[in-house]
Amino acid sequence: MKEKRMNPRKVSALKDFACVVPVLIFLAIFTYYPIVELIRISFTDWNLLKDTWQYVGFKNWEWLFNGSGTRYLWNSLRVTVLYSIGELAVTIVGGMLFALIFNRMNKAFGAMRAIVFMPKYVAMSSAAVVFLWILNTDTGILNYFLSLIGISPVDWLGNRNTALISVLMLTGWRCIGYGMMIYLSAMMGISTDYYEAAALDGANSVQKFFKITLPMLSPTTLFLFVTTFISSMKVFQSVDILTQGGPYRSTEVFVYNIYRYAMVDFRMDRASTVAIFFFVLLLLVTVATMKISKGNVTYDS
Amino acid sequence: MDKHALADVNARNESAKRMRKIKAVVQWVLAIIVLLIIIFPIYWMLVSSVKSQEEILLPVPTLWPREFHFENYINVLNRGNFAKYYWNTAVMTAGILISQVVTGIFAGYGFSKGKFKGQGLCFVIVLGALMIPIQVTFIPLYIMIANWGLSDTFLGLILPDVVSPYYIFMLRQSFMAIDDSYVDAAKVDGLGRIGIITKVLAPMCKSTLFTVTLVTFTNGWNNYFWPKIIARGEKRRVLTIGLAYLQNTFAGNETMNNHEIMAGAVLAVVPVIILFFIFQKYMLTGYSKAAMK
Repeated sequence: MKEKRMNPRKVSALKDFACVVPVLIFLAIFTYYPIVELIRISFTDWNLLKDTWQYVGFKNWEWLFNGSGTRYLWNSLRVTVLYSIGELAVTIVGGMLFALIFNRMNKAFGAMRAIVFMPKYVAMSSAAVVFLWILNTDTGILNYFLSLIGISPVDWLGNRNTALISVLMLTGWRCIGYGMMIYLSAMMGISTDYYEAAALDGANSVQKFFKITLPMLSPTTLFLFVTTFISSMKVFQSVDILTQGGPYRSTEVFVYNIYRYAMVDFRMDRASTVAIFFFVLLLLVTVATMKISKGNVTYDS
Repeated sequence: MDKHALADVNARNESAKRMRKIKAVVQWVLAIIVLLIIIFPIYWMLVSSVKSQEEILLPVPTLWPREFHFENYINVLNRGNFAKYYWNTAVMTAGILISQVVTGIFAGYGFSKGKFKGQGLCFVIVLGALMIPIQVTFIPLYIMIANWGLSDTFLGLILPDVVSPYYIFMLRQSFMAIDDSYVDAAKVDGLGRIGIITKVLAPMCKSTLFTVTLVTFTNGWNNYFWPKIIARGEKRRVLTIGLAYLQNTFAGNETMNNHEIMAGAVLAVVPVIILFFIFQKYMLTGYSKAAMK
């Protein structure tokens, strides 16, 4: 008996599908399934220190929105928003300023640009321990420099008013060159015709910047805004090394809050509940920023 | 009359020239100031890493070390166990890199040049994963992987990073830019899928492939969050985590051993920074390429 041959078209489609199957399986197990688990765990009282667990209904959600967890939820939300605003300001305003400063096309400036961009590639943990050392109250060099101009030592990381600023210094150092590079590559794409036309109309450089450069860069700004906002909400590492969320939770960002419940208190139930809330928040921010980005932008056409 | 007009134009050119010169000077001065500020932490890390313990504790810091103590590096590698962390980091990074490249290239092919039912839906599944960061899913992931007995193992470190939706997306985009006729011609020549990928698509997208792979390498090497969760013991600790622990490894006040911590920090960044200088062209565009979608 002759085996029935499959349609070659079908075989080809099957082989193409086989190319993406491993990826789909992995994503299903390691990305999508955990979301389902997360929802399930949030309805249990799972504490890693106990042997058993059971379903407890909405108890954790009550704890989160109307219980002892509420305070810390709003606190971490506030800290995260403050941090995000800081990172956005540095990346967008600072990046733009740096782009204007380094916008000169010769070898020396090319080398300088590379160095300004380099911190992005310095591992966050290395950068963080260096900043820990620079910001040290007693022997740190920043306080030494400040003492030269008559400012008394600041307890950068131990004071709730300056701790978040310290974290932002580190973030700013690593991100500003990135904002600069993105803006510079966009600036090079702006046609010189606009500037020539403006020069004929007698516009000075300040006018040119506000009337041409800034509007023409709005898609870039929007892009930086969306991506930086979303990534800044996920900040963890700098906080973990510099302050561990302290002092008095003044730097306890969202992810650190979840991390603390899960890996310090071993309350998987509570951690999962906060994690779901965080996930929904991320989705909302993503959708909202995408919505805003349709419209409000000048495109060169 | 004519002479006056000419003088006028000349004067205007003169003043424009002067303006341009002033602008250049201002730009240079600002650039150098900014550069010094940005470079200072790196300079301070390098300088501090070769100072002696006495020197690092001086109330008035020295901007240039009095003596060079390169043994700080040896101490960190041996006493601080950094040699082992290096090995752990290298194996983890290699594992992540290889698996992301292999899965990424095949999936990138499937989503660009392949044709099958449900292709669009499958791609949405991949893109959707971009919205689910590990910072959200780490709790179930930790429980699952620890239950499999994989905490403190290389497999445990690598598993959640085997597939990168970002990598797949980038490769798909650049494969799509290649005309189908190349693929059809290769098929006529009797090349299979692996042949098409390795002999046609990959060579034509060399620079994208290389750039994205460099970003993957950097992200793997600097990985922090997941290793902190899954490798809580010493056995498979990576450099980034080891560095954070270094303060506790050498007993005593945290300011006491900053020279050695700085040596550790230097050791941790050296491979990536070397790559950065060799492949500057690619690495400068790496992130912005990702940016332009």
